[in-house]
Amino acid sequence: MSCEQYDWKAYALGEMTLAERREAEAHGTTCDHCRNELAHVRLTIDTLSALREEEPPRRIAFVSDKVFEPRWWQVFLRPSFAAALVVAAAILMHGYLVRPAASDAEIQARVDQAVSRAVAEVEERNVAALNAVDGKVTSLYVAATGIVRQ
Amino acid sequence: MIFREVEDRDLIAKARKGEVEAYNLLVSRWEKRVFNYLLRLVSNREDALDLSQEAFLKAYQSLPKLDDPGRFGAWLFRIAHNEAFSLLRRRKPEGEMPLEKGTVSRELLPIELSLAVETALGRLSEEQREAVLLKVYQGFKFEEMAEILSCPVSTVKSRLYTALDLLKTTLAPAILRGES
Repeated sequence: MSCEQYDWKAYALGEMTLAERREAEAHGTTCDHCRNELAHVRLTIDTLSALREEEPPRRIAFVSDKVFEPRWWQVFLRPSFAAALVVAAAILMHGYLVRPAASDAEIQARVDQAVSRAVAEVEERNVAALNAVDGKVTSLYVAATGIVRQ
Repeated sequence: MIFREVEDRDLIAKARKGEVEAYNLLVSRWEKRVFNYLLRLVSNREDALDLSQEAFLKAYQSLPKLDDPGRFGAWLFRIAHNEAFSLLRRRKPEGEMPLEKGTVSRELLPIELSLAVETALGRLSEEQREAVLLKVYQGFKFEEMAEILSCPVSTVKSRLYTALDLLKTTLAPAILRGES
């Protein structure tokens, strides 16, 4: 093969297959012209590497878009929030159903009230029955019950 | 060899599910390379940073369209390339050259050889310079470059080889000074 058929730029840039490299190297060992050309290509590429790489002046970063964040009402649909609501309801229900027992004085007052109400009802029924018989008897009965109470 | 506990493809899979932090980690791995590629193309730090952000944003939005996560790098640089050339096309009607000698702050390049390289790259056409950036500085294969640039491999090689010949001539004085 003639010298023109060897692509020394591709060789220096790592674009040859292993077989192509071996063949080019075999030729290069016997050809000053090709060795010289490869040296120039390598020197140019090495010189280019002198260009300093720079740091970006600021880091690039992204944040989550507000558009995709849940609305206020969507918060209520979250499992954690629903569970909290259930627990709060259970506590309220328990407090309502299991109220503390009344004291002795309150019970006594309720009994006295019920007895007085029952006595008054019986008296009213009796007065109404007697009214139909005789007004005189009625007044006597009223007087008599007043005596009995005293 | 650099060992990565979490591969890019894992981060891409998470980012596709909406995990922004996974994507941020992916960005942190690639931002310096993308920024430097864009910086050498457009020759302005603020523009390069804006283009980098735009490229990463578009990449995030287009992640579902990425067929092979193993080719994320070439795909990302394709997006960055489109962003850069969109800006360069907008600049041209104003008569602004894409890269002028001394456009990049001199204090960023304290070494004389580095400045000579910067200048030599600036004398190349945009296409030639981009070919050098993708091959020499980013290490892409010819096939990947063809994918990024949307052109045949033969065109990629033509641009790159012409650029290397021009650079050999332009850099010769600096190389000789360095050797002496």
